[in-house]
Amino acid sequence: MTENRNRCVITGLGMVSAIGNSVAECWEAALAGQCGIGKVASVDSTGCYADLGAEVHADDLDNVTGAADMDRVSKLCVKASREAVADAGISFENDAARCGVIMGSCVGGAVSIDHFYRNGCPAEDVRKMTISPIANQVAGQFGIGGIVTNVANACAAGTISIAYACDLIRAGKGDAFIVGGADAFASVPYAGFLSLHALDAEPCSPFNRSSGITLGEGAGALVVESYEHAVARGARIYCEVLGSGIGSDAYHITAPRPDGEGQMNAIRRAIRTSGLEPSDIDYINAHGTGTAKNDEAEFLSLRTIFDGEHTNLRVSSTKAMVGHCLGAAGAIEAVFSVKALTDGKIPPTIGYTEEDLTVLAERAGNIDFMPNMPKAAELTSVMSNSFAFGGNNASIIFSKKSGNVTAPVKKAKVVVTGMGIVSPVGQGKEKYLAAVREGKAPETNSVFAGVGAGDYARCGLKMAFYRKLDKFSQLQAVSGMDALADAGLTVTEENATDIGIIVGTEDGPVATVCDFAKDLVEKGNSAGSAFRFPNTVYNAAGGYLSICSGIKGYNVTVTNGAQAGLGSIAYAVNIIRDGVENAMLATGTDENCETIGCLYERMSILAPAGNRPYVGSGAGMVLSEGSTTLVLENAETAKARGSRAYAEVIGYGMTHAARSRAVGDEAVSALVRAVREAAVDAGIGVENIDTVIGFGNGRADLETTEIAAYRALFGQRDVPVCNVRGVIGEGRAATAALSAAHAALLLSGELSGEVEAYTLNGVPRTVEIRGENCRTVLVTAAAEDGSFTALLFRKI
Amino acid sequence: MNEKELQIADKIKELLNSSLGIELDILTYEIPLFGDEIGLDSIDSMEIIAAIEDEFGVSMTGVGKEPFYNVESLAKYVAAHAE
Repeated sequence: MTENRNRCVITGLGMVSAIGNSVAECWEAALAGQCGIGKVASVDSTGCYADLGAEVHADDLDNVTGAADMDRVSKLCVKASREAVADAGISFENDAARCGVIMGSCVGGAVSIDHFYRNGCPAEDVRKMTISPIANQVAGQFGIGGIVTNVANACAAGTISIAYACDLIRAGKGDAFIVGGADAFASVPYAGFLSLHALDAEPCSPFNRSSGITLGEGAGALVVESYEHAVARGARIYCEVLGSGIGSDAYHITAPRPDGEGQMNAIRRAIRTSGLEPSDIDYINAHGTGTAKNDEAEFLSLRTIFDGEHTNLRVSSTKAMVGHCLGAAGAIEAVFSVKALTDGKIPPTIGYTEEDLTVLAERAGNIDFMPNMPKAAELTSVMSNSFAFGGNNASIIFSKKSGNVTAPVKKAKVVVTGMGIVSPVGQGKEKYLAAVREGKAPETNSVFAGVGAGDYARCGLKMAFYRKLDKFSQLQAVSGMDALADAGLTVTEENATDIGIIVGTEDGPVATVCDFAKDLVEKGNSAGSAFRFPNTVYNAAGGYLSICSGIKGYNVTVTNGAQAGLGSIAYAVNIIRDGVENAMLATGTDENCETIGCLYERMSILAPAGNRPYVGSGAGMVLSEGSTTLVLENAETAKARGSRAYAEVIGYGMTHAARSRAVGDEAVSALVRAVREAAVDAGIGVENIDTVIGFGNGRADLETTEIAAYRALFGQRDVPVCNVRGVIGEGRAATAALSAAHAALLLSGELSGEVEAYTLNGVPRTVEIRGENCRTVLVTAAAEDGSFTALLFRKI
Repeated sequence: MNEKELQIADKIKELLNSSLGIELDILTYEIPLFGDEIGLDSIDSMEIIAAIEDEFGVSMTGVGKEPFYNVESLAKYVAAHAE
């Protein structure tokens, strides 16, 4: 039996899709086998071999508060979230700080990107382009103050968002989360899948003769709570969320492994962590896209694990009705899975002719793939599977019973054993250390890391591999491989699934998405580049890193402003503490290029070169790029393999400012809470913090928030605030993660000697601190939309 | 290759560099495109087909593998089929 403290329950559901504008409408239509696929209206299909899509028809999307600042994807997400919150009957007023939002998306604000290039590049589109705003905008609707972030793992994002929230609840990091995912129909994914010839000209019919997917759009939202929180407020409980399995193929950026190994790893891990056996699963909402490669691999995976184990397994793909909703798919399918479980009715896979049924019977073994007709059935446990671009696999189990989900009572100790640094001062730790010692500063207001042939050679990356990567992924591949080398960690067949990756990014591959979109505006949607399209998904960088390193464990990309570079570390810490993996690569990566430069120019937040954080004019930031990867390990397994450690990660706190802005009193109190929560997590007092690595980047608005928070935390104590951005500029998530590396280097003694720092004692001035006085270092980071992360590191 | 084919081959090299990121110092006329060093795959060949149609107006859709062997074989195919 799962102990009550480890129980997570679903209490609210929301959905908008091509077959309905509410859960009730969608569910009724799904059971009726109603197909939401039609000729696409929202994008131009001139000259395209496939012109079908499953688009949402809702006329109230612009009625949400703050709609003018939102991309269509956020509007869809807010609509579904509002329904889920109302359905749960939950109010966030009294415990906003214990509630969070985790949302999944694949393409983020691709509609705004299209609009930007078709309408003279209006500045107001820029902040809507990425995935980052989505979860923040949902949180802003409800004044939520806890952990807020986005999962950007393409078609598995929605499923992972639920798994992550449950991990956080079980870790005591929150009581209730709005989770799910959203994606809007847009030219970029439409033209991209066309270019890969992965769209079917006919409505998709998974596990059938279908030759590709049909794209859809929509959002799914669920309220997931700790059992105790739900019971305390007298909530109606739909079901339990048991275990989950997340992993990566380390095989190909778009195609699944034909042998199904990665899929089976995820499915088996979900079953094992639920305390169940394969025969306990009564229904599976399959990934079931309709592409030959997915369907063949999934047939194989499901038959290998389940066929023969029991004779009554039903499997269906609801994508035949709602299309493939990418980042929303896992969330929508989770809602369908929960409805199937609680209503005792299974939705069908539609589109089978009599002839198809004969073929299916030969391929399906003892598994019922639910062709055409729904069925009533008493269900106890159901599974939802999502397999994404980048080779990411996710599986999650919902049940009427509490299963046997365990979490270690004694959490593993986490240490930093390696780092890879790619930045404008050069590649590698030594170059960074030298730049800090020399007091280097960016020479212009836009600087670049310049990864090249020598770096690829050092990392053992061949041209046949790295030529396919965009710059964002190249930066990540180099810092990731360098970090593994620095840690002396060799990935082998034996340990590949014990090592995972969390990539953190603010802007992800948005430059590649923009360039792809710009091409479509010029040449039409039939002219998308099959070579470039795989790089438009945010988790491509994590996928490529998995391929070149061989890492097959956990693989998630989080995106929520610059602070995602610390959020990734917090996520990785959680995974190691829970004993899910022994080692994690936690990264921050963001690129700079002509396109990114144009976008930031539009936002008017760049300053002339020479504007220094904290002590400068406050006029703006220096745009930079890079990638920082930390290797985090379970202290025991690191010791067992004889690894040295830079520092211990002792705690983290993540918060969100009620109005989703990083400036103002609410932002100050959110940052203060993040630090206090990190201290509680670490079991220390704020008074133990002796050094801060801050996030000042030359923008007065953010720095005012930051300094006010430190003054509130430290009072008259003159705690030195070090800063990485004065050396390398604002590389967003890369710099946030570099701040953590900087802390580790201070604590390991490698940055001993004299370090420049700002102090809080009255008038701003620069002073010098000595590295050997550092014992407990606080690292902070912020996101434009009001999310904060604080991490605490300790000397070993 | 004759002069016309050489001209086409040089243009194809440029196309392979700009559309597939293949570095020019490795890309000789003879190096096998599907070999270890360059590592073309099916997605890349779709990109080559699109680029060649765009540049030379020669359709290679449905053509067998042979012309894709290296830059020289591509250039010869294009030269033979260009208007």
